Amino acid sequence: MRMNKLLCAGIAIIGFLGVLAILAPFISPYEPSLIDSTNLLTPPSYAHPLGTDSLGRDLLSRIIYGARISLSIGIIAVGISLLIGVIAGSIAGYSGGLTDSVIMRCADIVLCFPTFFLILAVVAVLEPSIINIMVIIGLTSWMGIARLIRSEILSLKEREFIQAAKAIGASHIRIICRHLLPNAMGPVFVNATLGIAGAILLESALSFLGLGVQPPVPSWGNILIESKATLGVAWWITLFPGLAIFVTILGFNFIAEGLKKQWGYNA
Amino acid sequence: MLEISNLRVHFDLNGTIVKALCGVTFGVGPKETLVVAGESGSGKTVTALTVTRLLPASARIISGEIYFDGEDLLSLEEDALRKVRGKEIAYVFQEPGTFLNPVYTVGNQIMEPLLLHQGLSRAEAFAEALRLIALVQIKEGRRVFFSYPHQLSGGMNQRIGIAMSLACRPRLLIADEPTTSLDVTTESEILDLLCELKDNFGFSLLFITHNLSIARRIADRICVMYKGVVVEEADTERIFSSPRHFHTMELIQAYQAIGTL
Repeated sequence: MRMNKLLCAGIAIIGFLGVLAILAPFISPYEPSLIDSTNLLTPPSYAHPLGTDSLGRDLLSRIIYGARISLSIGIIAVGISLLIGVIAGSIAGYSGGLTDSVIMRCADIVLCFPTFFLILAVVAVLEPSIINIMVIIGLTSWMGIARLIRSEILSLKEREFIQAAKAIGASHIRIICRHLLPNAMGPVFVNATLGIAGAILLESALSFLGLGVQPPVPSWGNILIESKATLGVAWWITLFPGLAIFVTILGFNFIAEGLKKQWGYNA
Repeated sequence: MLEISNLRVHFDLNGTIVKALCGVTFGVGPKETLVVAGESGSGKTVTALTVTRLLPASARIISGEIYFDGEDLLSLEEDALRKVRGKEIAYVFQEPGTFLNPVYTVGNQIMEPLLLHQGLSRAEAFAEALRLIALVQIKEGRRVFFSYPHQLSGGMNQRIGIAMSLACRPRLLIADEPTTSLDVTTESEILDLLCELKDNFGFSLLFITHNLSIARRIADRICVMYKGVVVEEADTERIFSSPRHFHTMELIQAYQAIGTL
């Protein structure tokens, strides 16, 4: 099967970032939190390809380490929302009736909250650790996946091969896990890829407001907020983390669009 | 062996009650081939599905009894019934392509009932599945085993369907218009195959069709359904020599009309 260009480009971008993140200790030229008071706010140079920040820390190293945080938050948060969404959606779609109504109304209730403010409130009450952020993003973003799975299963469960599976004596759980979900997962993966991009953006926004990943651990969002004070003199501290976020989101969107084309969905 | 008596099934379609079966009674003996014939909507398929309660959620079994080897299937718990489905009573359905799951190889799907009911290991199930594929007279069994349903023809898929239904050596095979979507030559091959397998395995066959020429070819007895009731039940010979109900005559005429073309 030939892969379309969009998918290739997306995989290349995310693959590159993934390798950077995994190999961060070997690739990054400096320790990300190494303070060098002789090199404050130096513009991009040979020694510091992306310059340094107001504490003299090397920006390239901080962005490479930031990729670890941002990517893992994106992937784990979406993993959590996939888990909840798939379970809730498949139970709702398969059982129908009251169970369906209860689960989907729960989804509607969560959907009604302005997610960002809910996350802000929760993070303000609990401490804003990386784990908390992953979990809270996961817990507030499963509804779309649940709805998608439910609608897929509603139509799939009327298909003849499901009746055939019943006729050979398969149990409900077996029918859901073995026969329904593999047929329903395509659009869900597309949705989840977009979800990763969304989660990364959300984490950056949280960090920017100071409620995300806490310094000195570098994340793209909190590098950005630190750059705010020196924006007038050091453009590079704002530009490069912003660019990193932009390219990552673009990469995941490319993958999502590419998968959609590859599998022939026009959703 | 299978005794259905006074079976009444209604469908509740958003408040509108549709009476699908209005007191169906018939039986299938050991190693017998009973053909249930009738026009569309006469309740043939509903009867077949009711035997192991595979009906959609909107169906209500109003009254009746279904005994299989003395066991009351209608009062059986869902768990116990699951052990009957596929193991004691197996189905072959009409559209072979759509009754196979598109995401698995056909071999994988033949293995499923073996793994579910026989407690075989995957290696044993694989060997048995290959044997079953050979049994339904498919050459190049290995290649077919690793094919997906969309890569095979309708006749081939129906052979796979038959292999799957015979996997656990059922005592009753319910075939719901298994050849309707196939062309005539393939239909003929599938019918020969079913009859041959029936002689070898010794299962009873409940065969549903609207086509009396098929019925004449394979049936020991024929049961004619019309509007949710059995209107005539007799030996194949008697049905054709002296049909008593007007619907039986209609079906015979329909098949004779095609026969003279």
